[in-house]
Amino acid sequence: MNDTSTTVAPQPAIALRGVDLSLGRGAARVHILKDIDLHIGQGEAVGLVGPSGSGKSTLLMVMAGLERPDAGTVEVAGADLGRLSEDGLANFRGRNIGIVFQSFHLIPTMSALENVAVPLELAGVDDAFARAAHELSLVGLAERLNHYPAQLSGGEQQRVAIARALAPGPAIVVADEPTGNLDESTGGQIIDLLFTEHAARRTTLVLVTHDAALASCCDRVVRLRSGRVEAEPQKAAVP
Amino acid sequence: MSTAVAPVPRGRGGMLPLRLALRELRGGLRGFLVFIACIALGVMAIAGVGSFARSLIDGLAREGRVILGGDIAFSLIHREASAAERAFLESKGKVSSVATMRAVARAPDERSALVELKAVDRFYPLSGTLALEPARDLAGTLAERDGVFGAAADPILLARLDLPLGARVSVGTATIEIRAVVNVEPDKLAGGVGFGPRLLVSEEALRASGLLQPGSLVRWHYRLQLPRGDADDRAADAVAAEAQAKLPEAGWEVRTRANASPQLERNIERFTQFLTLVGLSALLVGGVGVANAVKSYLERKREVIATMKALGATGGRVFAVYLLQTLLLAAVGTSLGLAAGLALPFLIAATFGAIIPLPIAPSVHVGELVLATSYGLFTALAFALWPLGRAHDVPVSALYRDAVAPERRWPRGRYVALTVGVIVGLAGLAVMFAYERRIALIFVASAAGTFVALRLIAALVMAVASRLPRSRSMIVRLAVANIHRPGALTPTIVLSLGLGLALLVTVTLIDGNLRRQLNAALPERAPSLYFLDIQQSDGVRFDALVERHAPGAKLDRVPMLRGRIVSVNGTRAEDMRVPPQAAWALQGDRGITYAAAIPEGSRVVAGEWWPATYAGPPLVSLEKRIADGLGLRVGERLTVNVLGRNIDATVANLRAVDWQSLGINFVLVFSPGSFAGAPHTSIATLTHPSGGTASEDVALIKAASVALPGVTVVRVKDALEAVGGLIANLVSAVRGASVLCILSAILVLGGALAASHRNRVYEAVILKTLGATRRRLLAAYALEYLTLGAATAVFGVAAGSIAAWFVVADVMNLGFVWLPAPALAAAAAALLLTVVFGLAGTLTALSQKPAPVLRNL
Repeated sequence: MNDTSTTVAPQPAIALRGVDLSLGRGAARVHILKDIDLHIGQGEAVGLVGPSGSGKSTLLMVMAGLERPDAGTVEVAGADLGRLSEDGLANFRGRNIGIVFQSFHLIPTMSALENVAVPLELAGVDDAFARAAHELSLVGLAERLNHYPAQLSGGEQQRVAIARALAPGPAIVVADEPTGNLDESTGGQIIDLLFTEHAARRTTLVLVTHDAALASCCDRVVRLRSGRVEAEPQKAAVP
Repeated sequence: MSTAVAPVPRGRGGMLPLRLALRELRGGLRGFLVFIACIALGVMAIAGVGSFARSLIDGLAREGRVILGGDIAFSLIHREASAAERAFLESKGKVSSVATMRAVARAPDERSALVELKAVDRFYPLSGTLALEPARDLAGTLAERDGVFGAAADPILLARLDLPLGARVSVGTATIEIRAVVNVEPDKLAGGVGFGPRLLVSEEALRASGLLQPGSLVRWHYRLQLPRGDADDRAADAVAAEAQAKLPEAGWEVRTRANASPQLERNIERFTQFLTLVGLSALLVGGVGVANAVKSYLERKREVIATMKALGATGGRVFAVYLLQTLLLAAVGTSLGLAAGLALPFLIAATFGAIIPLPIAPSVHVGELVLATSYGLFTALAFALWPLGRAHDVPVSALYRDAVAPERRWPRGRYVALTVGVIVGLAGLAVMFAYERRIALIFVASAAGTFVALRLIAALVMAVASRLPRSRSMIVRLAVANIHRPGALTPTIVLSLGLGLALLVTVTLIDGNLRRQLNAALPERAPSLYFLDIQQSDGVRFDALVERHAPGAKLDRVPMLRGRIVSVNGTRAEDMRVPPQAAWALQGDRGITYAAAIPEGSRVVAGEWWPATYAGPPLVSLEKRIADGLGLRVGERLTVNVLGRNIDATVANLRAVDWQSLGINFVLVFSPGSFAGAPHTSIATLTHPSGGTASEDVALIKAASVALPGVTVVRVKDALEAVGGLIANLVSAVRGASVLCILSAILVLGGALAASHRNRVYEAVILKTLGATRRRLLAAYALEYLTLGAATAVFGVAAGSIAAWFVVADVMNLGFVWLPAPALAAAAAALLLTVVFGLAGTLTALSQKPAPVLRNL
């Protein structure tokens, strides 16, 4: 980032420098991320790939401010996450980062509408429910507003989760194997939805995947092996 | 197609935690039944006891005038009011006099019964209504006809002597015809607890009985009705104050209608406190259930909490959401408990109102309900804040990664501080609203000590189990591993069972000790008979009579007067603030005596006993604990009013007294000559060296009633039976409240075992898949529960025994004996309960077919 040229490079959406992370204690301690340097530009779609245990999900959580590194800095949307308190991080996430999980993680006691409204309510939005309903209609679930997660199919649950991630209008969306729990056809629909919304909202999209089809939709693929970033081809095939 | 949505601004959300909490609770109350039941039971006990006591006290206050028999009552011992005193009373309003004393009624067939004799004048009753059966006027019923006086009697007397209505009995030298039965005696409570049934006669009949001798133990009550009927209490207080000022030497006890039965009120307050503490124990035991329920709920909700945090909820907000849920659940439990508690006085009044000899005025007592609600909510918070505080730090990583090694960290400082604050608040409530703060403080300290001790025991059991050498038996290995593995049931079982068992042992041992005091200790040491009102002039005749009929028996006869302590070192008794254990000495009149030598059963612990020939100014010997309570030391001064005369005495020495000998002993013993000229009687006890028989007693009672009709003879066994009946009632009430505690403990234990059921099924299925038979698994589980139950039982018996020792020895001032049978029975019951409860849950786990469970893992 020591660029001294006259044209100012746009500020990256995510910038990781020298990130190191170990988890567990004593004999169970595992060195998961090793000296990671990674820049992701605004509006970019990046796929994180690699074998199981290579640290993909952990790296994603570090970018989302859900995990603090032992060393290194994490800058997201211009904010140094290391300087934020636990509560500061929660507020930051609520405003700037949408997260989609493999297992959806909808709240079972809340309807689809309420699930989507939660981040808006947490952010103090007055018309949280109207906006949540709008988001659900955008993902094709206008008819399922008052259904509980248990009454929805896997694909529908993941659509609710995507609507929930997008509802507060975050600049960055991270997704951890969003199609991992879905069949191929439903997974395809979810991929379409994610990338359509990515394009429409001009969000930065980072996703972890084993799915070659999904990785191929990304602008860039970052490969991890044993906690390190391998050379970054511009557009690579997934192993 | 898609429209970008503008980023949202940060905003407020005051009601959001409540909205989220309500959404969370949509899943229903499953998993919270133990939580709600525990809080409801405890709150019900506290609200019920408080409301009932308040209803009684209100009833006493409302009926004060009726209970007292007038607006003000002046009571004298031994003597009637002087002409000047009577004139003063009559100048203030309408006066009715009533004399009460203990006497013996003898049937024609020589059977006899102790009666509470009450002689009334023609104005009786000034307030309230006396109900006789057959209904007729009182004057006619009590009138003399052909030398025979009429009487109305408690039906118990007729039953005891097996007499029909219209039968005649002798009282002293008078012949009395029982013409009616007393159904309602409006002022019955004013006299306190009686040992015999009531016999209502006219004043003339009492005078004719020959029982009114100088020094006889008769109380004269003068009830005054103020002219303006329902005038406010200040008028009554003013007359009472004027009487004390104008006639300071009268030595009478004055009560106004606002304070009609202070002793009874005090006893109700004291007993209420005891029952409230038992109720609080139930709440504390239930608190463990609350903690368990909240902990396992939050464990189930880890994923939801992590999701909320991933969506931008702060740890504080998560805490608020779950705190609100806990409070809502506590409110449900508290409401149920309150509803049951406030219904209790109504229920008792409706069901037993007719047979309870107390005026119950059931109503809703907001203060009591607020107190019970506070106890319920504070308890729920005290036990829930710790696990709730941990929810603050549930990591979002729980969503995508199982914990590598579950960390059991302390909650953040603010939650620890909050927990401590609530616990201090709870303890403060218990102490602040206690009748005797010392007892409440000790309760709080022992409750805290018990909790800490139980946690330590659980930790110790787990530590020992984890260090045991690996057994060769798979059953033992499995049982030992289950005791110390992470998430083991050990702390929960030890805590819930230990508390419940400690309480059970406490109540059982107190009960057993009281019974032992009343029964087992008697034959060797206690006298068989008490004799009251032996005239000085009859002393020699009495001794000879006893010697003739009970040769070889030990007779103790001492002079006896009644007197009131009026001042201590110049401070008036009513102005003194005295700790409860000594306050009774200032309440009403006390038996006093004089003696040349140290009474049997006493020893001097400070000062010197006076010489046998001492004839100087009055000296007094005081019982040590009372002297300490009154702040009196050797050389200081005490004034006692006896027969309308104030006697100043110097404290010569202090004595330790063995009250349990049931021999004659007095708090106040004066030097001979202190009451020179004051007429008085003697009391005596007769002790058979070999215990004596009923027929010997009856023969002596008959002979005494013929030769000395004025002497009242009481069989100790009869008197103790009366006291025993009272104590049995009190013990039943305590037992009733304790049942709630035990029920709470069982609920908590059952809840904890049920919560572990899922893990047990999983474990059982895996082990069965790997080849374990059901019998081996059952044996391993039984061994685990047996070990935990046994460790807890040892503690429960020890803690319960210490608590019972404290209550019996310190609070009740009785000797304590550890009774192995009830203590061990309670321990065995607890042990059995743990194993049966544990195995009952495990049996269903063992009967699960592996395949369906494995498919769902």
